[in-house]
Amino acid sequence: MSTPAIHTEQSLITNEPYYEPVADEVAVFTAAYRNKLPVLLKGPTGCGKTRFVEYMAWRLERPMITVACHDDLTASDLIGRYLVRGGETVWVDGPLTSAVRNGSICYLDEVVEARKDTSVVIHPLCDDRRLLPIEKLGEVLAAPPEFCLVISYNPGYQSVLKDLKQSTRQRFVALEFNYPGVEVEQTIIEKESGIDATGARQLVKFGHMTRNLKGSGLDEGASTRLLVNAAKLIHEGIAPVVATDTAVAQALTDDEDMLKAVHELSRSIF
Amino acid sequence: MSDESRQNFLNRLRIQKDLEKFTAGALARHGNVEDTVARIAALERRDQDFVYAWVELIARSNHELAAHFIGRVASAFDKMERSGVEDWVDQAMTTFDNRGLGFAIEALEHVDDFAREYASRHVRCGFDDASGFLRHFVRGLGGRELRVISDQSTFTDTESLYLPDVVNLYPEPEQNFTIYKLTAVHLWAQTWYGTWRYQVVEQLIRQFDDEHPMAIFNRLECIRLEACIARDFPGLSREFRLYGSVGEAGDALWDEWRRRASRLAEREASAADSLALVEAFGELPLPPLRPFEGDMFAGRVRQALFARIEREKSAFQRAMQELRDQDDRGEGGGDDAQKQLVEVEMQDEAGAGGEDVNFQLTIDGEVTAIPEHMKDLMGSIMQDFGEIPDDHLEPLERGEYSDALLPQKGDVDGDDDPDLNDAGSFSYREWDCVRQRFREGFCTLRELSVPPGDEGFVAATLDKHRGLLKSIKRSFEAVLGESRLQRRQSDGDDIDLDALVEAFSDVAQGREMSEYLYTRYRNQERNIAVMFMVDMSGSTLGWVNDAEREALVLLCEALEMLGDRYAIFGFSGRTNKRCEVYRIKDFEESYSSAVRQRISGIRPKAYTRMGVAIRHLGQLLQHTQARTKLLITLSDGRPEDYGGYKGKYGIEDTRHALLELKQGGIHSFCVTIDNEAQEYLPHMYGPANFAVIDEVEKLPYKVADIYRRLTT
Repeated sequence: MSTPAIHTEQSLITNEPYYEPVADEVAVFTAAYRNKLPVLLKGPTGCGKTRFVEYMAWRLERPMITVACHDDLTASDLIGRYLVRGGETVWVDGPLTSAVRNGSICYLDEVVEARKDTSVVIHPLCDDRRLLPIEKLGEVLAAPPEFCLVISYNPGYQSVLKDLKQSTRQRFVALEFNYPGVEVEQTIIEKESGIDATGARQLVKFGHMTRNLKGSGLDEGASTRLLVNAAKLIHEGIAPVVATDTAVAQALTDDEDMLKAVHELSRSIF
Repeated sequence: MSDESRQNFLNRLRIQKDLEKFTAGALARHGNVEDTVARIAALERRDQDFVYAWVELIARSNHELAAHFIGRVASAFDKMERSGVEDWVDQAMTTFDNRGLGFAIEALEHVDDFAREYASRHVRCGFDDASGFLRHFVRGLGGRELRVISDQSTFTDTESLYLPDVVNLYPEPEQNFTIYKLTAVHLWAQTWYGTWRYQVVEQLIRQFDDEHPMAIFNRLECIRLEACIARDFPGLSREFRLYGSVGEAGDALWDEWRRRASRLAEREASAADSLALVEAFGELPLPPLRPFEGDMFAGRVRQALFARIEREKSAFQRAMQELRDQDDRGEGGGDDAQKQLVEVEMQDEAGAGGEDVNFQLTIDGEVTAIPEHMKDLMGSIMQDFGEIPDDHLEPLERGEYSDALLPQKGDVDGDDDPDLNDAGSFSYREWDCVRQRFREGFCTLRELSVPPGDEGFVAATLDKHRGLLKSIKRSFEAVLGESRLQRRQSDGDDIDLDALVEAFSDVAQGREMSEYLYTRYRNQERNIAVMFMVDMSGSTLGWVNDAEREALVLLCEALEMLGDRYAIFGFSGRTNKRCEVYRIKDFEESYSSAVRQRISGIRPKAYTRMGVAIRHLGQLLQHTQARTKLLITLSDGRPEDYGGYKGKYGIEDTRHALLELKQGGIHSFCVTIDNEAQEYLPHMYGPANFAVIDEVEKLPYKVADIYRRLTT
């Protein structure tokens, strides 16, 4: 007897997620999907990787299962495990197994954070075999053509302990993401938050200023996501400088000089 | 007499008696004792105690001085808080100790001056208070990275912003701070909105080599920049207006100038327009500069500008050459790079000045992606020229190309050296990027020991960086303290429910039950071996060498705490036959007094043949047992050695050596203080595997911090 941990009908995306294509990533993803190739998304945090996968899932009309990886995530968290119910054991599928069974898109976010043993299950699934061995069940699942594995990671991390192994990364079609250009970013902010063009433009400019600081005091500049957050606050009637302070500056740093600098940069525009 | 006034009277009597006793009668010689006492009696109880305490203290040194103090202290309290009064007595006492009674009394008597000075000290904003913020702020505004330096005059030479030591114009510290900020913005605007474009500077120096026209140009530019800032930074513009008043007459003059120079406020206006107007304004009286406006020194700008143009031109040409070479290779080897047609197109969004520009680079009609470091370079060139000048796009002539790939000649003389054949020498291959193959056994390397230096250096460093060391240790402790839950242990603090359920299901299915059913908190075991490779080339002579040694001392202290296995080697050499690495600390050695002496004994030697050192130290690292192996290089420049090992050849060999390490599972990282490192380090080490430190003094701190981040 087996129980799915995730009901796939619930993970079907019915409304079109808002996504603004930057280059030919939609075409590349579609082609990879048709050819049953797994996809690796590289890029800084908050630049639209997750939203892109959601959008593609909607476009391809496949359910999507997202797993946010953390450093305690093991292979059995992905595959599934036996549980005990009323003196009997019941097998519960993990997210990856249900995705394979149902031909969903499985998105492993920040995959480098997961334990190393997860690569054991990812590898056979990502080459031309497309198999998921479930040791506990003594079963080997063959992935249907609709199944697609997507992983993401941020190459900006400098820790040597968090690097994606060559044997893993060389199984994927890699798409590089970055913050969108001025106009696209402005459109995104407008559409996501509902603020006017002037406000959005000022926020984009502010975002660029913080990105200038990357490497000279900030680890990362403001991501598009942070700018959208600030825009939403502004749309609610919060003063722009307060919105950027709370939604952006405090999220970026704790350093006092830097906080003050970001605060003043915001004040200089609004 | 009412009770209250009677009480007061007695109080005053008591105070007078006390004070006379303290001063041994000296007070009586001063006139108007009663009045003085009355004023002291009127002070709050706490302040009275303060007076008593000090009188007693001063009287121990000198009774006369104590009497003078009593005479003035009430007026001091009128003018200052208690802490100010304390400063005032304190400096009088210091004067007494150093210069005698006369000067000390004088110091006490000038209580008014002191109070004024004290007040200003507490409202002014010092450079040190603002510089940290300003550096970030100006960087955020955009454009070329500018240093922030304090100086007698306020100006920019387009490489640095020179700001006053202290701003003390307004009663509130906040306001003075704002003046600092606006001054920095104004100077930044000169560099960003093209005041110091090459063409302008040329004409300025040719035409107006005099103070007055320069002052006119300065004011016209103030008007133009004011308008630019109003367009792009409404928030700043509001503050400029708020602090921009220079009295009625001055403001009227500025208005008059603004009216006459109205076209400078247009979007298309440039510094050339200001220049064209200078003569027309020759007869008008000059409006006074506003608090945030500085001087202009065209000579200083020209000096900085010319040096930079040369530097950036060759850097740009070098980068273009690399792009062309890549392009050639892609097409199976084009015969002559010079035939290629290169175009740089700018998609300028808002006409003249400032705005961010998108570049598009076309080589032979094909759009080519511009590498990140080149964008900064092109941005900086744009700031100087407003375009990428044609001569920048011309290919380097092979002859003058400093990186020309010379044929590598082995060093023949070296064979005479008797040391070469001793047991301590190793032979390594080197990658020849011209031939695209290895030169086997080309390099001979010896392992030497650093002669011990003065151990006092270590003590002095620890003392100098006491505070820093504490904070480094604290942050390293946090790394150690990170305990985590370990699951599926054979014994432990708590039951692992997941494991238990699984075991139960195994039993139910008739399988064997696992014995690993417990969880346990435990510090994660660090299993890291790290090799520090320290540049001992001649160019590190002076403070770079000092900073390297200091960094090593702090690092050793911190690493001892972490328990990571580490080794330190220096490297240098001259020609392929005399490559040398200097043993400072082996993996097996403890951080002993001998090691400390060797750290202190590190001295600059000869050149930087990096590849062979990396191969040798990589071997040593390879033979140690550890899960994570790391090679960290501290360096001050690109690889370079006598006899053709420079430029591309050196970089390619080093890159190859690093790739070999990577294949062996060794991570490499580079910490450098070379500002041009952006050009070659990403290529050598990979985009995220290096850090450039802009100020040498920061090296000790940064190295420890980088190490912590790398290994957690």
